Amino acid sequence: MMCMVCIKCINSYRHREGASMKIIIANVSDKPLYQQIKDQIKDAIFRSELKEGEILPSIRALANDLRVSVLTTRRVYDELQSEGFIITKAGKGSFVASENLELLQESKRHMVEVKLTDVWKTARSLKISKEELYSMMDLLFEEEDE
Amino acid sequence: MNNILEVNGLKKDFGSFCLDNVSFSLQEGCITGFIGINGAGKTTTIKSILGLVLKDAGSIKLFGKEISENEREMKNRIGVVLDEGYFYEDMTMMEMKRIIAASYSNWDESVFKGYISRFKLILNQKISTLSKGMRMKYSIALALSHHADLLIMDEPTSGLDPLVRNELMDILLEFMRGKGKSVFFSTHITSDLDKVADVLLLIDEGKIVFSEEKDMILDTHGLVKGDRALLNEQTRKLFLSLNETEYSFEGVTNKKTAVRQQMSGVLIERPTIEDIMLTYVGGNEDVI
Amino acid sequence: MLFNLVLKDFILAKKYIVFIIIIAIAVPIYITASEVSNNGGFSGFFITALYLEHFLFATVSVAEEKYKGAALLCTTPYTRNTLVKAKYISGLAIFICAYIIYTITAFVVPMGIEKLNIFAFGSSLLIITIIWGFIIPTQYKFGYEKTKYISIIFIFTSIIAVPNILKWLNSKDISFQVAIPQIIQNLTPFVFALGIGFISMILSIQIYSKKDL
Repeated sequence: MMCMVCIKCINSYRHREGASMKIIIANVSDKPLYQQIKDQIKDAIFRSELKEGEILPSIRALANDLRVSVLTTRRVYDELQSEGFIITKAGKGSFVASENLELLQESKRHMVEVKLTDVWKTARSLKISKEELYSMMDLLFEEEDE
Repeated sequence: MNNILEVNGLKKDFGSFCLDNVSFSLQEGCITGFIGINGAGKTTTIKSILGLVLKDAGSIKLFGKEISENEREMKNRIGVVLDEGYFYEDMTMMEMKRIIAASYSNWDESVFKGYISRFKLILNQKISTLSKGMRMKYSIALALSHHADLLIMDEPTSGLDPLVRNELMDILLEFMRGKGKSVFFSTHITSDLDKVADVLLLIDEGKIVFSEEKDMILDTHGLVKGDRALLNEQTRKLFLSLNETEYSFEGVTNKKTAVRQQMSGVLIERPTIEDIMLTYVGGNEDVI
Repeated sequence: MLFNLVLKDFILAKKYIVFIIIIAIAVPIYITASEVSNNGGFSGFFITALYLEHFLFATVSVAEEKYKGAALLCTTPYTRNTLVKAKYISGLAIFICAYIIYTITAFVVPMGIEKLNIFAFGSSLLIITIIWGFIIPTQYKFGYEKTKYISIIFIFTSIIAVPNILKWLNSKDISFQVAIPQIIQNLTPFVFALGIGFISMILSIQIYSKKDL
């Protein structure tokens, strides 16, 4: 049951060092806004688009840019900090935390695990067998290779 | 997060209309949009906070202290923009400004001049000759030129064209960049708030309906569009408001997952602030 | 701070300044020319002051009713009390202006206009304080629209009544005045004026503090 995805806004934020951070907010996702933003920042960190030690836009600047509430961006940064992805220094700003490889790897694994569990649950409720599931997965990998 | 303004149990009876136990808080560092239809009580609430209207009951605390006990100190920290301006129209902007500036201990003439040149206003002009947009810009210039921490505005954008409204929203965002600043403004033009609001406060018929983070409320609600045939006794219950035509329907729900499960092929979009307001405002016959 | 509020009233009345000055000059001339007044320039000055006060207060009240500027001012650190006090000070200020114009006119115009003696000055102040001491709080309570006719009636009545009453008093040649030293006699109207003005101001402050704007 996929609904049409409407892109609310595509914003690329450029700051002093010249790097850019693209955040796309889907209008129709059931995921709360802060979750979407948080995940995309995490992805950017994983893909090394945001480098270790790099400064992030201020809560207010990010909020203004994305047209979301500061309370949302504050929540994003708070959670990213508690999960170890960023560090906020009072008066100075928020920075991408020094890459703790293990932590990141674990997070990445965890993300995939969560999604797989989701898929598994759905498959079970629709009575799709393990074999069918595996062949679906194979198909996906094949398509990617093409 | 500090509460920059706390209103508790505000009551005011005008006979034909009354504020009924209005209570809410404004968080520091946020732009709070005060929404409601005309006559809902926005102006009365704001006037009560400013001391223009005397409350029958309730307490209003600004920066942690009762307003009535620290009036002058408080008012020095508030910038005010009122809908009708309340300027002496026969005066020039210069004359009016001189009177107002003299009351503020932190008046900053250079900041004021900055705004005036930015808005391309000519101070020697009589206020009566100003267009609505220029008048609002002048109001803002006055309100932002004494290092205020809280900006209170009553319908600042009514009657203004989209370009000017956009400019004003940008000015608000600029203002918020400073530390410890907050904005509280009432409007029934909710599209302005889509861009800048952090928190939404809805008032209807003199009562506060909700006070929520804007993103939170837009996240949890969905604007659903689909085939009318999908509506049955069960599914109707999922909606807070419904608009039906012959073949289709449109409704607002706060149970998006249930809707997606029970109604196939519907389109669920993120609602606008206007959708939310219309859903929660009384007198909406479709509210279930 | 008060100064700027008083200035505000004068700016609001700005349109009529020329008119006001003409009246202030014309009245003493007219009075002197038309009757022999022997009460220390009282009639001339009193009527002048009366007109000026009326103009100031009326013009300001009309502007206030129309534009409701006081509402915005109340959101500033000007408290309501200050606004009320400023109103009274404006009244005093224009009284002093009346005096200045009268005195200058008396010096300049070679018509033998009587110079003001202090008792006349004090009495004018007293009577004007009584009139506006009543009008101002009433206006605060009931609004300008309803009360504007009252002030006009008051003023016209006083213009006619007061000089005549004084004439009558003088003609009676009351002799109790002899017992009291001159200086106290002169100061008495001032003291009363101050007292009445003060009471009126407190009353106005009380009334205004309860008003919805």
